[in-house]
Amino acid sequence: MLVTVTAPPELRAGRGPGDAGTAAAVIRTDALTKRYPGNVTALAGLTIDIQPGITGLVGANGAGKSTLIKILLGLLPPTSGRAVVLSHDVAASGERIRTLTGYMPEHDCLPPDVTGTEFVTHLGRMSGLPATAAKERAAESLRHVGMYEERYRQVGTYSTGMKQRIKLAQALVGDPRLLLLDEPTIGLDPAGRRSMLDLISRIGAEFGISIVVSSHLLGEIEQICDQLVVIDGGRLLRSDTMTSFTRVSQVLMVEVDEGVEALVAELGARGLQPRRSGRRGLLVRIDGEQTHDIVRDAIADLGLPLNRLEQQRRHVEELFRDNGDEEEHGDG
Amino acid sequence: MTADSGAVSPAGLEPAAGTGVIHDLGYRHYEGPRLGRAAIIRALYWHSLRSAFGIGRGAKAKIVPFLMFALMCLPAIVNAIALAQHPGQPRIIDYDTYLYRLRPLVMLIFVAAQAPELVSRDLRSHVLPLYLSRPMRRLDYPLAKLAAFTAACLLVLEIPLIILYVGTIVSATGGSAIWAQTRALIPGMGIAVLWAVLLAAIGLVLASLTGRRAYATGIIAIYLFLTWTLSTILVNIAQQGPVGPNHVPLGPNGVVPLGARLGGLISPFTVLDGVRQWLGGTNPGPIPPPGNVGILYGVMYLALLAACLAGLAARYRKVGAA
Repeated sequence: MLVTVTAPPELRAGRGPGDAGTAAAVIRTDALTKRYPGNVTALAGLTIDIQPGITGLVGANGAGKSTLIKILLGLLPPTSGRAVVLSHDVAASGERIRTLTGYMPEHDCLPPDVTGTEFVTHLGRMSGLPATAAKERAAESLRHVGMYEERYRQVGTYSTGMKQRIKLAQALVGDPRLLLLDEPTIGLDPAGRRSMLDLISRIGAEFGISIVVSSHLLGEIEQICDQLVVIDGGRLLRSDTMTSFTRVSQVLMVEVDEGVEALVAELGARGLQPRRSGRRGLLVRIDGEQTHDIVRDAIADLGLPLNRLEQQRRHVEELFRDNGDEEEHGDG
Repeated sequence: MTADSGAVSPAGLEPAAGTGVIHDLGYRHYEGPRLGRAAIIRALYWHSLRSAFGIGRGAKAKIVPFLMFALMCLPAIVNAIALAQHPGQPRIIDYDTYLYRLRPLVMLIFVAAQAPELVSRDLRSHVLPLYLSRPMRRLDYPLAKLAAFTAACLLVLEIPLIILYVGTIVSATGGSAIWAQTRALIPGMGIAVLWAVLLAAIGLVLASLTGRRAYATGIIAIYLFLTWTLSTILVNIAQQGPVGPNHVPLGPNGVVPLGARLGGLISPFTVLDGVRQWLGGTNPGPIPPPGNVGILYGVMYLALLAACLAGLAARYRKVGAA
């Protein structure tokens, strides 16, 4: 593909000053495999390399995201292969890794009858903070996630969005160098999702904490990520920086009332490869700024009645279809 | 506030050193000490010990534990008052059996109500992965919980004994009387340790079976109450039956049938009393002296305890794993 990217991706710096490009990987796995009893393969020889910054871990449900996170925390032994987190081997230094890492689980994990402050303070102590430091760090974490005003309320009275923030605060309380967030936007309404993503993006950019955020919705987290890792059936589908991803993950939806065939031919002649979508729709891969112009000009030249021209983010499922169609994957 | 776009550097004021970005959130990294695994277990121990008495929770959570504690102390306080008014009278309660009808009842309620407070709540709200993602090992959590609940049971069992002791010696005359009380107190406190260790383990392993507090309380209460009733019935039936030729006579009062001596093996409370008598306790308890089968009570105690510990370890090896 002949695309020139105008500017290099703004890779966010890790904790060290000015080490954006050359820093050691935050996470590195080598042929990581996890098989559960009953011949269920959750991870099949996964080799990834995650750099500092915000990394999206994308995959459908059951793709192995949660299994990977548990292995990275040293909670689950891999069947084979190895993984290194913040330069520590998961098999040998699980405790050390868990000192440096904050984890936000996917499911609900909050007791309803304690206050936000009590809960986060207690988990701060469980992270190894002395009593006073745990109190201070809890207040600070709650402030950063925007729960300072509500911190003396019982957790059971919080909304779903507030609960997600408390879960994030408890991951943040130990001042980790790495955050592992498992589906942080699950169960949230669109506004809640957006503010959670903003929060994650701020933590990654301004707190100097590397973040791995898992999601089954590519379109959602690609907005805040520097790097994406796509897994399916426990295998790596793709791992790349965000710019090269949006290149393939963005398409133009064109809908005309008539003359679809003519438009396909015309666009083909102009160097694009449109795909039919429905009876009157076309999908055109966006290869930079000029794609829109080409499509517009083609439609204008043909004099077709244009119904819709819309940029779309493709779903993970489409990436699977395009990249992993050579084999059927077992479910993890 | 300063613009944080990397490209534009505002003239003069603050020269942008490297990638330094000034932001209004003011996130500060933690530079203080980080405590190790032992300190984390200790923190969890104290947190759990407090919650065993409802401290750090609402007023309602304190009712049952403190009521049971007060109930347990009451006889010792009555003893102190009685002895103060009638100096020279003997102590009205024994240290090793305390009140053997009251103590199992109080402990049954305390364990059934409070063991779920320590473990079922965390299971219910699925908070365990948060503990596991911290720098501790898988079994550190049940270890801290077990230590905390054992300590909680110890407090409920031992403080009344100390009140009993102090209430007795303040009315005692002469050093030899005080020494006699001290000598009687020490085995009594030892027996209470055996109680606390076993009951805490039973309570926690049963409570860890379910995240529903009410169920957990029910399971513990039913187990302790049913076995207690069963043991009492068996002992009573056996004592009423005809005495066979191979029954060993015990004490001056006649013979205790074998069934009565074995009947106590079913309930943890009567096992504890059997151990007490096997170890040399002579005060009357809920079961007759076990005599030559006394060692079975010792074995039963250890077997019960081992089963509870193994069960607890197995439970927490699995929970939150997959």
